[in-house]
This record gives sequence, structure tokens and C-alpha cells, in this order.
Amino acid sequence: MEKKSCFLCVTLLALALAAPAHAAKTVKIGLLYPLSGNAAAAGKSAVQAIEVGADIVNNAHPELKGIPLAATAGLPRLGGAKIVLDVADHQGNPSIGQSQTLRLITQDKVVALLGAYQSNVAFAATAVSERYGIPFVVGDSVAANITGRGFKWVFRTTPIASDFGRNYMEFLGDMKKAGRKADTIAIVNENTDYGTSVAQSLIEQAKKAGIKVVAQIPYNANSTDVTAQVLQLKAKNPDVVIFVSYTSDAILYMKTMKNLDYMPSMIIGDDSGFSDPSFIPAVGPIAQGVMNRSAWAIGKPGSNTYKINAMFKKKTGRDLDDTSGRSMEAFLVLADAINRAGSTAPKKIRAALRATDLKPSQLMMGYHGVKFDKTGQNILAATYLVQLQGKEYKAVWPSKSAVAKLEWPMKGWKK
Amino acid sequence: MILLQVIAAGLLLGAVYALFSSGLALIWGMMNFINFAHGEFVMAGMYVAFLAVVWLKAGPAGFTLAAACGLFILGVVIYFALIREVLRGPMLAQILSTFGLALFLRYAAFFIFSPNFVTLPQTALTGTVDLDGIYLSVPQLVAGAVALILTLALHLLLSRTQLGSRLLAVAEDREAAMLMGIRPDRMQALAWGLSAASAGIAGALIALSFPFSPEVGGSFVIIAFVVVALGGFGSVPGAMIAGLIIGLIESLSAYWFGPVYKDVVVYGLFVALLWLRPQGLLGTQ
Amino acid sequence: MRWRPFALAAALLVYPLLFRGAFYQDMGALVLIQATSASAWNIVGGYAGQVSVGHAVFFGAGAYLPVLFYELWQLPLFVGVPAGIAVSLAFAFIIGLPTFRLRGHYFSMATIAVAELVRLIVSNSGFLGGAIGLMGPARPRGWWDLVFRSAVPYYYIFLAVLGLVLLATWQMERSRFGYYLRAIRADERAAKSLGVPVSRYKLYAFMLSAAFTAAAGSLYIIKTGFIDPESGFGILVSVQMIIIAALGGAGTLLGPLLGAILLVPLQTATNTWFGGGATGLTYIFYGGIIMLIARFEPGGLIELWRLRIAPLLLRRRGDAHAP
Repeated sequence: MEKKSCFLCVTLLALALAAPAHAAKTVKIGLLYPLSGNAAAAGKSAVQAIEVGADIVNNAHPELKGIPLAATAGLPRLGGAKIVLDVADHQGNPSIGQSQTLRLITQDKVVALLGAYQSNVAFAATAVSERYGIPFVVGDSVAANITGRGFKWVFRTTPIASDFGRNYMEFLGDMKKAGRKADTIAIVNENTDYGTSVAQSLIEQAKKAGIKVVAQIPYNANSTDVTAQVLQLKAKNPDVVIFVSYTSDAILYMKTMKNLDYMPSMIIGDDSGFSDPSFIPAVGPIAQGVMNRSAWAIGKPGSNTYKINAMFKKKTGRDLDDTSGRSMEAFLVLADAINRAGSTAPKKIRAALRATDLKPSQLMMGYHGVKFDKTGQNILAATYLVQLQGKEYKAVWPSKSAVAKLEWPMKGWKK
Repeated sequence: MILLQVIAAGLLLGAVYALFSSGLALIWGMMNFINFAHGEFVMAGMYVAFLAVVWLKAGPAGFTLAAACGLFILGVVIYFALIREVLRGPMLAQILSTFGLALFLRYAAFFIFSPNFVTLPQTALTGTVDLDGIYLSVPQLVAGAVALILTLALHLLLSRTQLGSRLLAVAEDREAAMLMGIRPDRMQALAWGLSAASAGIAGALIALSFPFSPEVGGSFVIIAFVVVALGGFGSVPGAMIAGLIIGLIESLSAYWFGPVYKDVVVYGLFVALLWLRPQGLLGTQ
Repeated sequence: MRWRPFALAAALLVYPLLFRGAFYQDMGALVLIQATSASAWNIVGGYAGQVSVGHAVFFGAGAYLPVLFYELWQLPLFVGVPAGIAVSLAFAFIIGLPTFRLRGHYFSMATIAVAELVRLIVSNSGFLGGAIGLMGPARPRGWWDLVFRSAVPYYYIFLAVLGLVLLATWQMERSRFGYYLRAIRADERAAKSLGVPVSRYKLYAFMLSAAFTAAAGSLYIIKTGFIDPESGFGILVSVQMIIIAALGGAGTLLGPLLGAILLVPLQTATNTWFGGGATGLTYIFYGGIIMLIARFEPGGLIELWRLRIAPLLLRRRGDAHAP
């Protein structure tokens, strides 16, 4: 009996000693995304993009010049350790988000987390990672106060609502300077947390910029008819309409506007529905000139972004979109920090994240860089404005990143 | 002029509501049973239409027919596999069974078709009709008209044909119908088939102008409840008129109070109705 | 037979000590919240047979009031718990009075509509956080904020509340109140003609059930620290209570607890197994189970045990005794 338990002890000890040696070869990162429920399409696409990111880090891709960790296979400062992704489905539910975060941290022993698409889940899940002292990099949730709650373990690479609100107003300011009429705007937003929080920021930024908001129209994203809203816009007749919409509603708005023969000088879509892979096939021909925000541009053949897009397209059959691209960038930033930390200890990873200072040439997204302030927000986050010309969005603003000439007013369905 | 436009849009939408709601009313009237998966039948109709377009290159008439047939079969199968047994059980089991069915259908579509949004390819039905300043899109016009005709047809089928009177006989008194030589099982299966088919056709018609994903059904089922409650539970002509009214109310309240309050108005009306006139606005005691 | 509830109680008491993993302890706490809300629903939905599909109203009120008090006056979350219960009682009274004239499915539909209405109103009310929701104290200011890293303190608080709910249900079951409710469930008209004050007792059951459901909502916010309209008032919140109670056995004392013990870990496990692929298998599986219960064993697992498995075991034992 005693011999047996002693044997057990020895085995356990051996296992315990063996564990860290094994751990050095792989680094496990937890992904927390909605893979069922109404945001599943976006969640799935983000996970696929991060898988491409893991391929870039884990295998040698010398063709991607300047992107950290692309040239080498694995994480050089951790002895070539490979990154393993551990994917969990939070179903868009904050409570499930918390328990899955806990599972990833305590059961699967992930060293860092990425997520979470929906802002409400990001709120809840980061509270758990904070308690356990595990870095959580938010790649794509935009609600303002995910950072700024005094949390020490939350980092966010993506621009947030106030950032792109400011970008839109700067753009409109430029238009006014160029003699185009852009004095009044209307904001049409879906009424869940995404649309509401973005609309709030837009109104604040418009006030600062001295642009008049003639109407704000919140609506329910699963509406099957938006005639009334379009007629309201028609009556108020703003110069520019900004839509904060999900997919089916964005498509429906475009169709309804054509049916009711209403077209403002310019429409700006706030990413999301306007970036959904089904948007252009569905209404591309009648939505010519629609603008959209995107920190992602496929770029010219031979560029890093073009090659990354090719990798994503090979895997999924479609082009990379902005939302998934922002998640992928968050992953690359995290991988770079883990490598610089030279360790999988959460504290060292956090210190490395704090010290992050990436230049635009090292990024796939169009941020001005990645550098976190003390709340964990990336202060160099920015976005391009792109315009639908033909069958794709082309960067048109700011002018230094533009690849195509802005068409103002938009053409819509008119030839 | 704007008001007329809003009214027209509301009536066209209401006609489609009337079609799928009349299916729910039929089931309710015959079996005293509410189907929480009715919205998922609408969704399934959209995907059947989608498959018909992709595989058979079907046109609007073809894919609507395909949705009708596909959903009729689904309805009958579900009746025999699940509902027949559950009808004899307690009310809790009845409610649970169609909740389970709704989840199952929704995520089966999710599994097969992925969570992405789908739009039907451009069909021959495009363009707008300009009625003296009121713009109506052809797909919506066709959808509204077809829905209205089919709802009427369902009503006539129930009220004017022998088949209809057999169906109603089972609804009135199961035992007596059996003594008359009607097989209630068959009639109830038929009712489920018709109910699902009405939802399926409505789905195909909505898909003419609306992008859809597996999650789309949830928003239709509560509309159907409201319509059925307004029209008087179990009344097909009631559902038809109530569908038009609800479409109109949605459209007008979205215009007057803002789109966010359109659902508040509709649900508020529903609650008030259940409290004040549980037999429905158009029903009799 | 009498030892079984005690064995269950003992198992629940030692569970966090046996399973030391933080994730398992957390799951235990979630099981207890769900068991509490399902047991609360069971009073009106199971015993009285009034299938409410709108209990999320009470759950949401129980979750929102504490966090609203924190938002407005920086009060610790537990201070708002009685307010949540009070608001739920008021809601139950307002909803219950007219609604209980409705029978069967009409009642179910009315409760859905009320819950959806409340959810929409909350989503559009700025002072309730609108669609974004409300957050409790992000970082604990002291022990009174009840922010623990480990789930064990939550677990025992929740267990105490569940114990209270079950004790109340047990008392009710054996009292005249309980008999009345069962009479109402069996045949409302008959009960009325026998002199049972049907409407009054339905209302009592509804209010009792509402108060306990609000308590479960308060437990949720204390643990999660964040609430939005969908996770407070969403229709799935109500449906989850019904499914758990029905799985275990609606109208039995321990059915909802058993249902939660089975279903919550099962949901977590299926999410872990199938969740990563975005295939929807979790819910296909879940929907399938619900249909199977409804189709084959509407009395739930307790009924399954009593009617099918226990006789089988007894017969086998009987066979063994036979010469």
C-alpha cells in the first residue's frame, strides 16, 4: 500500500517537472467569440482571421516584410514556441462569457485572452481576467468604457467610437473646406449597445465640430420594413446620412432608398453591416459611392496586406473584412508582446504589452501605430474612410492613404 | 403624400403578416395549440426558396412553390413525429415541444447554411412602380398581393370546400367527427401541413426583398401571436384583417413615434387586448 | 426514501470542497442560481400549473435594482436586493390581477408580451443604461461589495438562498395553500365550484414566485457585476427556467434543482465540445433534448424515475428474492 502511494508520488512529481518543459514549446491563447447567436457570422470570421494570424506567427513567412514574427517560425525568444489557439463560444451572453473566460484561464491555462466582439460580453469577461491577472486584448469591441475602469489587464488595439466619430467629422470638415455642402447630418442607428454607443459618440463629436445633427433615428435591427425611416430622412433632407447598422438592415435601407428615390449627397456606413461579406453582392450596384470606415485596405499587389488577404481568401473563399482584420491585428500585437516578454508569465506579458510601440509599417491595419495609454487604450488607433467604387471599397481619405479619388456626391444607382 | 406612402408600405407588409399568421391561427383553432416554432417555419421557407434558386435555377413562382411544398411536408412530418403525441400531454409539454423545435430548426439551418446572411439573387421581379408620387417596389407589391390572395384562398378552402368542413368538424368535436368517418389524425396532419406551408410561402415572399440568416425567425413569431390575438384566436379571416392592421400600426407608429417605439406600441396593444378582450378584437365570445 | 433529500443537501454542501477547480466551483454557483430561479418559477408554473413565459421580468428587476442603486448612489449591491424584490412584488400584483382571468395558453402569451414590453422599455431608457446595460463596481471598494475572486463564497450564499426557497416550497406543499394550487392545476373550474378562492391563490403563488425569482436575479448581478436588457429581461431567461423545471419535474419539490444539476453542466460541456466550431451543434443538441422530454416524458426526470426506472429496479430486486 505504502509502496503504491510512493510510486504515485514519484509519477506526479515527474509529471509536475515535465509540465513546464512541455509548456515552453507551445503558448496557449484563449479566444472568446460569439460562435452561435445572431453575431455568429462575425465571430466565426474573426476566429478564422486569427487562425491566419497564428499561421503567420507559427510558420516562416519572410514575404511579409516588417510584420513582427512573420519571418521566423514560432516565437524566437521562447525557443521557437508555437502559439496554440483555444477557442470558446460565449454565445453573446455576458454570463457565459464569464464562465468561459474562467474555464480558459483555470482549466486550459491560457496565458492571455482575445475577444470578444460584443461590448457587453467584453465588459463582463474582462472583469474575470482582471481578477485572475491574465492579459485580455480587446480587438474589436468599441464601447467606450471597456477601458478606463481602472483595470490593469485590459488592452485595446481598435479605435473606439470617439476615434472614428472624430475621423468622420474631420472628413466632413475637409469636405466643407473643399467647397462641398456638408453642414447637416442625420444619424440612423440600430438600438442595441453597438448602435447606441456609437450614435452617442457621433453626436458629441458633431457638436464639437460644429456640424448640425438634424435627426437621430434609432431603430430595431430586425425590422422588415424601413419605409418610415427613409421617409423621415427624405423630409429632413440632411447633407450626409451616417448609418450605424447591422447586415440585413443595412441592405434593406439601400433597397428602400432606391425604391423611394431618396439619395443624400453622401452616405457613411459605420462598418459592421456595410462591411459584411453579403453587403456588396446584395446591393453593390445600387449603393455606388457609399462610404464606410475601415482600418483595413487590401492594397496593391505585392503589399503585405495584399498577401495577407490572399492567405485569408485561400482559407475562407472571401476577402478579409475590417472587423476580422482588427481582431487579427490584436492577435499579432499580443503575439509580439509575448515574444518580447520572453516568457509566458502573465505579469511579463503585461509589462511587454505596456511597452508596445509598433510603427505603421509593422501593422496590417491602417492605425498610426500601437501604443497603449495607462487605461490600456491604443492612442494611435485610427481608421481610413473607404468608398464603394465598382465592386470594392477603395481608400479615399485621408488623402495620404488614398488609392482612389473621392466621388462626391455619391452616384447610388444612377449612372 | 408621405402618409399615403407609409400606409401603403404598412399594408403590403401586413399582407405577408396575415399569410403566416393565418397558419398559426389555423393550428390554434383546431388544436388549441400555440406553435413557438412558427417563425422558424418562415425561416425554413426562405432557405427552401434559396435552395430552389441555387439547385433548380427556379424563378419567383418556382421557388415560392418549392417553399410551399417543402414546408407542407415538414409540417406533416413534425405532426406525426412530435405533435400528435404531445397534444395528449400537459400544457407545459406542448409549450416545451415547440420551443425545442424552434431551437432545433434554427440551429439546423445554422449548421447547414452557416450563420451568414443570404440574399436571393436578383430575379425578374425588380423595379419600382410610381403611383403618382407613391413609390412601391415590385417585389413588395407582388409579395403583398400574392400573400393576400393566398390568405383568402386558405379562408375559402376552410369555409367553402368539403375538405374544409372536415377540418372544421375535427376542430369542433373530435369524437363526433370520428363517428362521421373522418380520421382526425389525417385532418390534423393536413392542418399542420397547411400551416407550415403558409409560413413557408410567406418566407419565400419576404425573401424576395429581405436578406436573411438562420436567426431571422424569432422576430416573426411574436408578430404572429399579436396578429392571432387581435384577429381572435383560431380565426383565419380575423388573422387576415388583423395582419393588415398590425402592418399598418407598425408602419404608422414607426413614422410618428420613431421606429424604436413601433414594437412597444405593438406589444402594448397586445397586452391591452389580452386583458380587455381576450376573445380578440374581431372574435366572438 | 427519506434519506435522499439529505444526501442531496450533503452533496451540495461539500461540492466546492471536493471539486477545487475554480471553473467547477463557478459552475456550481451558476447551477444554484438557475436552480433558484427554476424553483421559484415552479411555484406558479409547476404547482399551480400557470405556465408563465415572462418570469424574466422578475429576474431582471431583481438584477437591475441593486445595480441601479449603485449607479445612482454608489450603494453596495446587496442594499438594492430588497428593492428588487419589492418591485417584483408590485409587478406581480399589477400583471397578476388582470392576467389571471386568462387561462392556459392565453396566460402564457400575455406573460411573454409583458416581458418583451418591459425589455423594450428598459432598452430605451437612458437612466437604466439603455441597450448597453449597467455595471456594478468594477473594482471592490471593500468586502461589502461582495467581489470575490473565488466562487466559493458566492456558492454558499447562493446555497443558503436556494435552501430558503426550497424550504418555503416544502412548507407550501404541505399546507392548504399547496392543496389549493394543485386543485387549480388539476381543474380550475372544479376547484372554483368547490369553494377554492382561485384568483386570490393564483395571485399569492405568482407573488411568492416573483419574489424568489427576483432574489435569483439579485444573485446573478452580485456574481456577474454586469447586466444588460437581454440577459435580464430576454425571453431566453424565462425559457431557461421553464426548461430546467420541466426537465427535472415541474410541480415537484426537488425537480428544478435536479434539472439545474443536469442541464447547466451539460450546456457548459456541449459548449466546450462543440462551441469552438461555430456550427450550432450545441443548440441542435439542446433543442433535441427538449423535444425528447416533451414527447416522451413530460413529467420530467423525477417522473421517469418513479414510473419507469424505480419499478424496474424493484422488480429485479423482487426477482432476486424469489426462490
